[in-house]
Amino acid sequence: MYVYDSLDKTLLNQRVAEFRDQVQRRLDGDLTEDQFKPLRLMNGLYLQLHAYMLRVAIPYGTLSSDQMRKLAYVAKTYDRGYGHFTTRQNIQFNWIELSTAPDLLYDLSEVDLHAIQTSGNCIRNVTADPYAGAAADELDDPRIWSEVIRQWSTLHPEFSFLPRKFKIAVTGSEADRAAIKFHDIGLKIVRNNEGVLGFAVYVGGGQGRTPIVAPLIKAFLPAPDLLRYLDAVLRVYNRHGRRDNIYKARIKILVDSMGADSFAAEVASEFNRLDPKLLSVRDDDVSRLRDMFAQPYLRPDPDSSSSFEDLVKKSPRLGPWFKSNAHPHKTPGYSIVTISLKPIGGIPGDATAEQMFGIADLADRFSLGEIRVTYTQNLILPHVRQADLFVLWQELERLNLATPNVGLASDIIACPGLDYCSLANARSIPISQRISERFANLNAQHDVGPLDIRISGCINACGHHHAGHIGILGVDKKGEERYQLTLGGQGNGESAVGKIVGPGFDEDGIVDAVETVVSTYLSLRTEGEVFSQTLARTGQDPFKERLYDNR
Amino acid sequence: MTIVNASGDVVEQGWTTVESLEGYGPHHGIIVSPAVLLDSFDEADHVSLSHTGVRLSVEDDVSEIAAYVPHLGLIELVFAQFKDGRPYSTALTLRRDYKFTHELRASGDVLPDQAIFLIRSGFSSVDVPDQFTAQEFKKSLMAYSVAYQSAHDSHVSLIDDLRRSTPDVAAE
Repeated sequence: MYVYDSLDKTLLNQRVAEFRDQVQRRLDGDLTEDQFKPLRLMNGLYLQLHAYMLRVAIPYGTLSSDQMRKLAYVAKTYDRGYGHFTTRQNIQFNWIELSTAPDLLYDLSEVDLHAIQTSGNCIRNVTADPYAGAAADELDDPRIWSEVIRQWSTLHPEFSFLPRKFKIAVTGSEADRAAIKFHDIGLKIVRNNEGVLGFAVYVGGGQGRTPIVAPLIKAFLPAPDLLRYLDAVLRVYNRHGRRDNIYKARIKILVDSMGADSFAAEVASEFNRLDPKLLSVRDDDVSRLRDMFAQPYLRPDPDSSSSFEDLVKKSPRLGPWFKSNAHPHKTPGYSIVTISLKPIGGIPGDATAEQMFGIADLADRFSLGEIRVTYTQNLILPHVRQADLFVLWQELERLNLATPNVGLASDIIACPGLDYCSLANARSIPISQRISERFANLNAQHDVGPLDIRISGCINACGHHHAGHIGILGVDKKGEERYQLTLGGQGNGESAVGKIVGPGFDEDGIVDAVETVVSTYLSLRTEGEVFSQTLARTGQDPFKERLYDNR
Repeated sequence: MTIVNASGDVVEQGWTTVESLEGYGPHHGIIVSPAVLLDSFDEADHVSLSHTGVRLSVEDDVSEIAAYVPHLGLIELVFAQFKDGRPYSTALTLRRDYKFTHELRASGDVLPDQAIFLIRSGFSSVDVPDQFTAQEFKKSLMAYSVAYQSAHDSHVSLIDDLRRSTPDVAAE
């Protein structure tokens, strides 16, 4: 993992001191709420419906066990005993007192954590493939390049007041587990025909009220030119992005209105004006980072390999868990294990302080002290020896963290919605809880197979509903919560925006509708066909008929 | 009106902002609009231009006054709103592409807490808004001793310089 040196620490300590001063000025009345707002937002502090919410940056979704313990401590000390992992691979605390926020940030800084650039119209915390460093299909470790971007973008003097927020995601694998094409900039690590390392650069993707899958702007960018190219993209956006309408301010609107080709040409022209010496990512920096991210050697242990059959013998419940929650590691005999934060009927992404302490200990025992956060609001232990799976699973069961549902119907992504968020039009969490309960039978979920249900409480789409196989959008219709249903989105690997099926539903209706969609799929599927394949083959019509004919 | 320099110290205001040239000679230290500049000044008269400043809004296009820029004594970029960050990029462009080396001033809606971003982007002075004090700007400039990026100020950059020049620190 990246380890802060004294320079990183100096900057972070100065940031904490600056924020403590700003909060004091606010508490003393020297700053009005209007003056304070941009300052607190630069430190991830939002004023929500009931209290301040603090969003802590988890750099590219990577946590050490000590950092997890500190988050648990924060949940216990400053919040009501829990935290909420988000679709941005971050964590949010919902019940923060303004007066204690500086102490909280000081505590976080002791383990190199902070809330810098988790809000505001700046370059947000970079996200990456949560399997980084462990996936067999990886060309290069995306954390190396995410860290380069983190440093470059932190307190960037020129790009801290952009037209709108700006999100960058990096993947090193063909199987895109970071949904890069739904980001302002998506970077995919590639090699060209000569074997040189670089990036395919996608610009102008996003969700919100105008969902767009990002077009390819540059097919091959040599790795040393990364920052120079990002600098050029950001400058073109800062200059020409719209500032007259908040809903048209994201870079996706600029790229779309200019056309991807002219946008790419404008970026190229700016790129060529930049001094390559100043922004070049140097080999010695990269190898320094590469050393930091190199994991301790894992001895290949093929004898430890567990099969579904072996594990079922130990416990009938272990087999399904292995099937849905464990993924092959690049080292034979090891697994990448997903800890589901989606217990049946639970709140997606929530973890209690006790669970976080427990996960930190399990990471130390079984996963080289490493933990990842996924944008699907689960956690990952990236390096687990398969011989340890049984014990790990027993420990997770004890913590109520062993639900065998990763990638299945009850692994629902949901934003905080009207229960917390001041922007929301409708509740998300209770809907996800009711759908989860409707599919409580885990054997049935395994029979249904891969299914991606996502819920947003407003058009800002924090629940990524556009990219779910089944997407649900909460809207306000004359003071009533209504839910629109979309089908056909794709967030993993292929990226696609779902289409609205028809008129919306009320709270009871949307839960029934999801069940109807699933039962329609079951009646239509051919041998081995997963939901998204059936939908692609049949189109929406048979689903529409079943959803609306009986009305 | 209070002007602070890149160190946050108050400096003598040597410039007067005017709407038209009436009553002013060519060497008065005046700040004019781009329209007045284009109408009334000769781009080849470098001496007059060195006593002249131009005031640009976020909507003004620097390229329209390109021939004048290197010879102007001052350029003032007016922030319409503190959250409209276009002048940061304009400042960089003026310093880098137009090789502008004289006073580059930020005015309008700027916050003390942005001071460091302004100076690092190439501004060399700030017109302190009435509701703030020069002291607040200076304090904000002192908040950080390091930065990650190279920029137009004396901060050592973690990315480009410091880790390389002090390998013992980087090796910690």
